Amino acid sequence: MTTFGRTDVQPVIQVRDLTMTYGDVDVLRGVDLDIHRGEVFALLGPNGAGKTTTVEILEGFRQRSGGKVSVLGADPERGGDAWRGRIGLVLQSWRDHRRWRVAELLTHFATYYPDPRDPAELLTLVGLTDQAGRQVDRLSGGQRRRLDVALGIVGRPELLFLDEPTTGFDPQARHEFHVLVERLARDEGVTVLLTTHDLAEAERLADRIAMLVGGRIRDCGTPAELARRAAAQAEVRWTADDGTPRRERTEDPSRLVWELHRDAAGPIADLEVRRPTLEDTYLHMVHREADGTGGDDGTDRDADEEAPAA
Amino acid sequence: MTNRMNRTNSWRAGLQRGGIELRHLLRNGKEMSGHLTNVVVALLVAAYVSDDVPGTRTPMTHLVLAGFAAYLLFQVGLINLPQILVTEREEGTLLRLRATPGGIPAYLVAKCLLVVVLAVGTLALLLVAGALLADGPLPHGPGDWLTLAWVTTLGLLAVVPLGAAIGAVLPNPREALALIMLPTMGLLLTSGAVFPITAMPVPVQHVAAVFPLKWMAQGLRSALLPDSARTAEAAGSWELPMVALVLTAWAIVGFLLAVPLLRRAARRESGSRLSARHRKAERSGALPA
Repeated sequence: MTTFGRTDVQPVIQVRDLTMTYGDVDVLRGVDLDIHRGEVFALLGPNGAGKTTTVEILEGFRQRSGGKVSVLGADPERGGDAWRGRIGLVLQSWRDHRRWRVAELLTHFATYYPDPRDPAELLTLVGLTDQAGRQVDRLSGGQRRRLDVALGIVGRPELLFLDEPTTGFDPQARHEFHVLVERLARDEGVTVLLTTHDLAEAERLADRIAMLVGGRIRDCGTPAELARRAAAQAEVRWTADDGTPRRERTEDPSRLVWELHRDAAGPIADLEVRRPTLEDTYLHMVHREADGTGGDDGTDRDADEEAPAA
Repeated sequence: MTNRMNRTNSWRAGLQRGGIELRHLLRNGKEMSGHLTNVVVALLVAAYVSDDVPGTRTPMTHLVLAGFAAYLLFQVGLINLPQILVTEREEGTLLRLRATPGGIPAYLVAKCLLVVVLAVGTLALLLVAGALLADGPLPHGPGDWLTLAWVTTLGLLAVVPLGAAIGAVLPNPREALALIMLPTMGLLLTSGAVFPITAMPVPVQHVAAVFPLKWMAQGLRSALLPDSARTAEAAGSWELPMVALVLTAWAIVGFLLAVPLLRRAARRESGSRLSARHRKAERSGALPA
């Protein structure tokens, strides 16, 4: 995985101090993001962390409360048709056009774009050639999602939003989907913003991952960087003389263990040194947030907001 | 320049879309039988009534068929259209078109085409089948045809934007039907569509006269029934200027409501709102998985 050092080029997505407030609750509290051309970027976080809100602001579907946002050089709140034509969306809840045939639908949506992909080639790309004449209603969940991807890229977007794209996929479908996304990014230079709460998927696909917890980016970097940072603090566990279990986090576990031995002048009961994985760190962050120690009730708030306003 | 190109493209995409949707409608047995049932019911009621319209020598059959013709137009605009809009909003069609360049104008063009073809198609079917099977009325002479044409056009203009406005605000397809069905049936009975309006108490006549159905029915009667039948009208005449006035007024009200409400409905669509609705529908067990 390469790190993109193109500071000279304007990022595809640039976000500065983005805030979102519903009523008196802050859902986003100063989010900064830079996503570069050709990058697969994963926005990772538990449900209610503000992922959906962030992405919908970037897609131009929501008005932000504050901060600066630029997507493909424009403010999403004022993006016109030409801007829309450069963006592709794959949402998880689309169930539209049930009566249409697969090829018919794809061919129709190609007519909206100035330089669309060839629908037949696109069907091959997403592996739906055999289903071309089938009614959308009769597709399996995985096929439906692949059709959504085809519809998302029919206009040759420069930027593709994927919203929890593999929820409900079987392992085979998930693998095929990952290969497809990698191909789009690598061969066609499409920038991909992926939202997911699946760490494994983010690690597999993303050049960089941002962890959004409680309305803030808690960490951001390549999967390797995040893993290194996560492992920087090792956890040492042991049982003290009085029989109570003890644990301590330290950057220098070797030193701590040496000190323990020196002080005890002998063996230490139940001594254990653990390097946390990225997953441990992620779960730790999410857990801390859910306990409420990480901030206010931003977690529940997003769920409330998602309920349809009357 | 690019603006004009976009507009042409939206028109083309919209017409293509409308054509495909019409084809789907024709192939959908359930929905087609629904529309055909309306026509059959109208024909059965028309065949069942035997007398003449009181005080005239025009058969009641003619009055009933003209009334049902108006009701069918009314129904396409105020029941079928809102239902389509609410369903497509719920499924995400509106959101997908919002995310597509030129998608919303194309969507509106397609819906207009669909509604007009559906309305004119059922109207033609009813009149032709009525004439063949129940000795029903047809316009006599170019004047009557002209009246039929403008009353149909103005009638659709009066109800289609209104229906679009209703479709933009109704909560979901399941509740939507219940909410619009009752008032519509009430108007069918009180607007003089199926029996002479003079049989209704005067206050009811006044209320019915506020809504477009009474005027659509009256306008169509003037096109379809012989001129002598106007003695059975409340005013003793067809009141065509009043028909035009009321229907135009409703058309204006409808447009004034529909444009901002549709814009608002499209603006409010987003992925999370869509998911929230699906979750709610799944919880209530109303949505097939």
